[in-house]
Amino acid sequence: MSRRLSDRARHWLGSAVLHVAFVVVLAVAAYNWRSDPPPEQLAIEGDVVRYEDLPPSVRAGKPLRETVPPVERPPEPQPRDTPTPEPKLEPAPESPPVDDAAQKQADALELEQERLAAERLAEEQVAAERQRAKDAEARQQKEAEALAASRRAAEEAAAQRKAEEAKQQEALAAKAREAEQAKAAREAKLRSEREAALQKELESEEEGEAFARSGIVDEYKAMLTQTIERNWIKPPSARAGLQCTLHVTQAPGGTVIDVKIGECNGDQAVRESVANAVYRSSPLPAPRDPRAFARQLVMVFKPTE
Amino acid sequence: MLMRAPVCSWSRSLTAMLFFAWVALWVAPAQAQLRLDITQGVRDAVPIAVVPFGGQAEGGPTDVAAVVANDLLLSGRFKPLERRDMVTRPTTGAAIRFEDWRLLRSDFIVVGRVEPDAVGLAVTFELFNVQTGQPLLSQRLTTTDRGLRATAHRIADLVFERLTGIPGAFATRIAYVTVDGRPPKQRYRLVVADADGYAPRTVTESSEPLMSPAWAPDGQSLAYVSFEGKASAVYVQRLATGERRRVSARLGINGAPAWSPDGRKLALTLSRDGNLDIHVLDLATQGLTRLTTDGAIDTEPEWSRDGSSLYFTSDRAGSAQVYRIAAAVGQDAQRLTFTNGYNARPRVSPDGQSLAIVTLDRGAYRIASFDLKTRNVHVLTDGRQDEAPSFAPNGAAIIYATRAGARGTLAMVSSDGRFQQRLSSDTGDVREPVWSPYPASQR
Repeated sequence: MSRRLSDRARHWLGSAVLHVAFVVVLAVAAYNWRSDPPPEQLAIEGDVVRYEDLPPSVRAGKPLRETVPPVERPPEPQPRDTPTPEPKLEPAPESPPVDDAAQKQADALELEQERLAAERLAEEQVAAERQRAKDAEARQQKEAEALAASRRAAEEAAAQRKAEEAKQQEALAAKAREAEQAKAAREAKLRSEREAALQKELESEEEGEAFARSGIVDEYKAMLTQTIERNWIKPPSARAGLQCTLHVTQAPGGTVIDVKIGECNGDQAVRESVANAVYRSSPLPAPRDPRAFARQLVMVFKPTE
Repeated sequence: MLMRAPVCSWSRSLTAMLFFAWVALWVAPAQAQLRLDITQGVRDAVPIAVVPFGGQAEGGPTDVAAVVANDLLLSGRFKPLERRDMVTRPTTGAAIRFEDWRLLRSDFIVVGRVEPDAVGLAVTFELFNVQTGQPLLSQRLTTTDRGLRATAHRIADLVFERLTGIPGAFATRIAYVTVDGRPPKQRYRLVVADADGYAPRTVTESSEPLMSPAWAPDGQSLAYVSFEGKASAVYVQRLATGERRRVSARLGINGAPAWSPDGRKLALTLSRDGNLDIHVLDLATQGLTRLTTDGAIDTEPEWSRDGSSLYFTSDRAGSAQVYRIAAAVGQDAQRLTFTNGYNARPRVSPDGQSLAIVTLDRGAYRIASFDLKTRNVHVLTDGRQDEAPSFAPNGAAIIYATRAGARGTLAMVSSDGRFQQRLSSDTGDVREPVWSPYPASQR
């Protein structure tokens, strides 16, 4: 960015310097011409210094000093054509008038030739100057183009790099955003679940108390216990001191879905017998009030004898 | 630092999630969970299906599944499913449709097949839990036509052990005495049969009483009392050869032989001093040691498992009670039983922790177990005249003699008293059953 800015500034500065230079040149030239004005030369000179005609390279500023001097050095008309010798001629009226006229004619011719030669020289100089300027312009054009090309390439590469970086950063940011959102959603879900569970627990505590008072839960527990006890074929190794905890999951219809043996100090026969007691009892009895139903049952087998 | 930051936040959020999950897990089901205490069970036998084995013609000489099912039935702990109730007869585990067997209320299922093998026969069997479909046991046993029955007993042993935790004792034998005819023309026989009663064969027979058979610890010989020649004598007979030896024919009573655990000595009840006392006879040297000197009747000796002492019955306190005495000269006997007015015929359990005894329970003679540590007597049977208990080598059951009408018969009770059953006998009076030790291959 700063590089581009400085480039542009340099361009501006260059053209400003050029303009100032031209103004100076024009001012000098105008002064010279006014102090010593050969009208015909003025026309020639006017052509040469017209700003619009200046080659772009000149306008660009750098070769200013090279191109300007020829303008500064126009072929100065010799003081010969100045009318100063006239007083000298006037005191000699004796010269024949024909001779005087011929002399005058020859002088005019000579003057005219000199003027033409000067004109040619000036033209040649301008042409050469133009050629030089053209060459320089081409060279500089090339250099500038090369420079610009390499700069463009570098800029493009940089831009591409930047674009890629930006893209990557954006992708990362998007991912992070997504993760953040997912996490927030998860946490929100867990929070709401926990709250719901707590709420449920509170409600169920109240309800549970009501149930307990009504005896429906106790009745349900008694039904379940009786069913399991009727189906538990106690192996001989199941004696007092045995304690075997089962975690039982039942479907709403009472079908036993899963039996997991928790802490159990019994042998293999005991473990199989308690698990099978539950499976044999499937489907488990339903409570009188469906609200007393419990999906999860904890059964503790601890024979009294 | 750059690397650690995300890890930290990740682990923190994971911790938080786990915490919430934990809360959700524990809070939510808490309301929907009931706790039940199960303190009772039933004393039923466990239902099991033993499906006829593949590769066997129905009604063949040795029906492996039938032998297995009968063994399990005799143990008292299993109730094999009747064959007529079997809807399908799978012979491999893959062919079992467990829901069918669940409907039949079987908890376990045994399937298998008999196939010809390079050396004879190969019997493959599999045991499953019907409720869960879980495979519990799978084995392939090689045998011969003649060994097929023993293989079936072996399968019953393995199934029993897998399901009860107790080694099976189905490949064992029992010895007992039968009496046929009426006095004065009676016929006494000493018989040895498989534990399931199969293949009985007479070891010896006599027109005079045969009594008190006792298995040598190696299971190769029997000691017994015979009154042949009108007086009692103790004989030792090798089963394989039938060769027998009279080891004690002293004046008076020669009775109640009991093998020491090392098989080198016999404890005997002798009356050569005019009074029944416990003696120890060294079988190699014929040296005799008198252990008891009390003026009362001391009889029915039984060695402790370590051979350091003997249990016996004595009426020295007025009624028959069980005593213990060290197996050395000049020791005092210690009374063990005090409850009930009659405790006799001690037989030690294989684990050495208890005695099977005959006790007088509410006016009837019954089999009881006596806990040597707690001294508690636990009555196991409910007959009127139960006698002669003998432990199975796995300690799970006790075989004993009881009365069915006028006839004596055999019965079995589990050592905790939960299962009892009569063993049918086709002929005569059966008495004094004794269970063999494990065969040598199983010891």
